[in-house]
Amino acid sequence: MLIKIQIVIGALSIILLLITFELIRKKRLREEYAILWLFTGAAVLIFSLWPAFLLSQFFVRITGIFYLSAVVLIAFFFLLLIVFHFSVVISKLTSQNKELAQQYALLALELNQLKKNGFSPA
Amino acid sequence: MELKKRILATIPAYNEEGSVGKVIEEVKTHLPQAAVLVINDGSTDHTSEKAKACGAIVLDLPFNLGIGGAMQAGYQYAYEHGYDIAIQVDADGQHDPEEIPKLLRALEVEKVDVAIGSRFIGDSGYKASTMRRIGISILSQVLSMIVGQRITDPTSGFRASNRKAIQLFASDYPQDYPEPEVVILLHQCHLRMLEVPVGMGVRYSGESSITKLRSIYYMAKVLLAIFVDCFKKPPLLE
Repeated sequence: MLIKIQIVIGALSIILLLITFELIRKKRLREEYAILWLFTGAAVLIFSLWPAFLLSQFFVRITGIFYLSAVVLIAFFFLLLIVFHFSVVISKLTSQNKELAQQYALLALELNQLKKNGFSPA
Repeated sequence: MELKKRILATIPAYNEEGSVGKVIEEVKTHLPQAAVLVINDGSTDHTSEKAKACGAIVLDLPFNLGIGGAMQAGYQYAYEHGYDIAIQVDADGQHDPEEIPKLLRALEVEKVDVAIGSRFIGDSGYKASTMRRIGISILSQVLSMIVGQRITDPTSGFRASNRKAIQLFASDYPQDYPEPEVVILLHQCHLRMLEVPVGMGVRYSGESSITKLRSIYYMAKVLLAIFVDCFKKPPLLE
């Protein structure tokens, strides 16, 4: 039973890693965001190869859950990190977007008034 | 008394074609020495054209930023163009431009940085639903406690700011619930504010951004925002 789970989870994490690498190579995913995905894939892969790995054993011991649940928990933890990271990034983008819109509007108004006063951009 | 000072009236407008023209004209009547700037916050109607036709300067934002982002753009304009005083007036006609001199007097005489027009000092003839009254009362009590000064009308957007406040708002302006949050910001930056009794009418058109059903939800979110604001690092003033 355990070996089947190991194979499934191992295969999934390898696919995740490959997709991440490919997207970075094609420059469709910035390294900044890719790094958490790489960690996630690597962590899940390690736990699927060595179920007796210290951390998963630790999880099993303190929580009393089974190996599969421990892997899911670890994957969940990494996904949480990724989503949190996204929230931070979106907040930053929103504020930059707002500043761009404000500066654009101020410049457009300035340009229109210049044009009205007979200024023609070369 | 303010003749030497350069005054800008800023009117944030989002789909207010029905009332923006009348507000601009009234501001021009009661405050002929002021320039009028309408910040068109990505309106989908003819707000921008109406305002231009009435002789206002119109700042067209490329898309809707919300009241916070729009007001900040107005203060950026005021700062860049060297205005000494910026007055915030709602485009829905709720604020009576006839009352603007009262705000200006507070800046001049009381030497405060921001004057806030309040509906709840004295008799303004303002009628609100019970729900809204309760909400505003809770909010004003919380704010008064935080800033250590009586704030009776925390959601009033009828305000006059001096150069110091304009500079602050141009670089830092709360985005989510700007009216009550600005009070905290001013307190954190040690700028002085004063409430001035003003009369407020009913809106010419449009609806409040706070509808009856949502007022509880709104209250919870505003209180949360205020709570978070208290822990924010205040911006540095040079």
